Amino acid sequence: MAKNTPKNAVSPLERTSRLLDLVPYINTHQGISLVDLAEVFEVSTNQMISDLTTLWMCGLPGYTPLELMDLDFESGYVTISNAPTLARPRSITHEEGVALVLGLDVLRSGISTERADLIEAIGSLSQRIARLVNLPLALSASSDISHEVTTSVKEAIAHRSGLLISYHSLYKDEISARVVLPLEMLESQGYLYLHAYCFTALDFRHFRIDRIQSANSAEIEKPSTVPPVNPEKIGFAVKVVRPTRDVAERFQESNLEAGTVLKSSSFSQHWIARSVLASGGAIELLSPADIRSDLAKRAKVILNRYEG
Amino acid sequence: MPTVSRKSERLINLTIALLATKRFITKSEIFKTIEGYEGSSESKERMFERDKEDLRSLGIEIEVGSFDPLFNDEAGYRIKQERYQLDLGEITALEISLLSLAAQAWQGASLDDAAQRALVKLNSLGIAVDEANLPDSIPFFSDEGLDLPKITRAIAEHQILEFTYRNYDLSVENRSVVPIGLSTRSGYWYLAGVDQSIEEVRTFRFDRVIGTFTVKRGPKKFETPENFDSQTLFERVKSIDAVIDVRRGKGTSLRALASSTKSIGEWDQIQIPILDIKTLSALILWHGDDVYVHSPMELRAIIISSLEDIVGAHG
Repeated sequence: MAKNTPKNAVSPLERTSRLLDLVPYINTHQGISLVDLAEVFEVSTNQMISDLTTLWMCGLPGYTPLELMDLDFESGYVTISNAPTLARPRSITHEEGVALVLGLDVLRSGISTERADLIEAIGSLSQRIARLVNLPLALSASSDISHEVTTSVKEAIAHRSGLLISYHSLYKDEISARVVLPLEMLESQGYLYLHAYCFTALDFRHFRIDRIQSANSAEIEKPSTVPPVNPEKIGFAVKVVRPTRDVAERFQESNLEAGTVLKSSSFSQHWIARSVLASGGAIELLSPADIRSDLAKRAKVILNRYEG
Repeated sequence: MPTVSRKSERLINLTIALLATKRFITKSEIFKTIEGYEGSSESKERMFERDKEDLRSLGIEIEVGSFDPLFNDEAGYRIKQERYQLDLGEITALEISLLSLAAQAWQGASLDDAAQRALVKLNSLGIAVDEANLPDSIPFFSDEGLDLPKITRAIAEHQILEFTYRNYDLSVENRSVVPIGLSTRSGYWYLAGVDQSIEEVRTFRFDRVIGTFTVKRGPKKFETPENFDSQTLFERVKSIDAVIDVRRGKGTSLRALASSTKSIGEWDQIQIPILDIKTLSALILWHGDDVYVHSPMELRAIIISSLEDIVGAHG
């Protein structure tokens, strides 16, 4: 189902669930507009009117005006009275509890240790919710993102100001200092990225937020108009010696057999060489020849150290 | 559609009546007083049975009992207010705000709808939010539509999960596991559990599971292993440290795993708890000549034989 499109109730159960949740919500939001209420419950305004009409017919046995709920929504604003039985919100379900407990845990992992008040509040909430829905506490979620870094990045985006970041480049295994103009934060495949203009590369770059070690505001000039240098991709071929899951995942190829030749390309010669090393002999690099011979030399040097 | 509306109406009225009553009310009282039960006595019965099931599927607990201990021939029903209502004890504005952020972390992920429903309930408590004191980091989840409640329910009830798993050597194997922990980090989801064929704790990555999980009734007596650590999803007792040298200014990914670091000139000596020796050896090899392994011997042996293979293949 597409997000943010109003869901019109198809199943009477789904509708019943919503009706039960509507009563306590209106109860604490007396006078809320029909439009706002429909938005909170993610339905169309017409569906909301139909929901309220149904609720208006409900109450205690007897079903005289004395026992029925009193709903008023003709003016476009909704009020409710005489609904004491359903006035308090329903307890949360197992599924809702899972969502909250994991959500709290990932939240905790991003909070700096100085905020002991928040960490304590989160711990207490997790326990209370877990108890409520019979949830094991053996759930954990963490994000590797530093709270300080995201705060600086967000501020820089908001103020269109520059940042001096120290960034860990995984392939080169180097930490470099770069001055960037942050543009936006994006999410892709489970990682959060900063899209920024980099004054070191003189081009736009994506930086993984979890690899930004620190970020401080910096003076910048307007981005230069010098044309960026576009790096070229390096083609390579590897032959599978031993099919392993590591190789399958690294090269994103699940059909592997001994002897399979994989051809691909990468922007980084470091990535190619390190991937072959990390595969520990499960693959052989066929080309390019220069990376291959360099790799053989490096492996021999390391091996000599162990044997020396 | 009138049928849909009448069904919902009847369910709401039934809920209200069962909530409002202190004593158990019988089926005949229900049919007599609650609006919507019509037709022959069999069709009323069928309607009521389905309604009870429906309310239970919404998470509403219906108590069955007898209101008269002397004449307990007819069962009665009621819903306890304290089981129906959300009760998190005293809850502060700050706590409500933290829960809102926790729910937001699911935006676009599998439990987004559940999180939003929970949030509506929390907002119905009528407590203002306290945004001034909130952290402004943005955690978020990413999953490929995993059925997380299926897993957490299996953990809570010690059920067995059966699934097909891709092993390290790419072979495919059926596993039967009593799950004990669930964790996510760096975009991956992990499941830990006691593998029933070897009776030991093993960890599985969800994206290596082929197909879906099947839930089976668990073993009669099951106890979560004592040394299990839900943060790392490993048994603590097994974790020995690797002692390795890392060139200064290099090996950031390895340093992030270190439990201790000491400087020895051009190099730093670090200790890393070994959770999975294959993963660690691949990470060490990735770092080439910027790393040197001292111990344990098992790790050294893997590194040396890997390097011999690499030299053999490329030399």
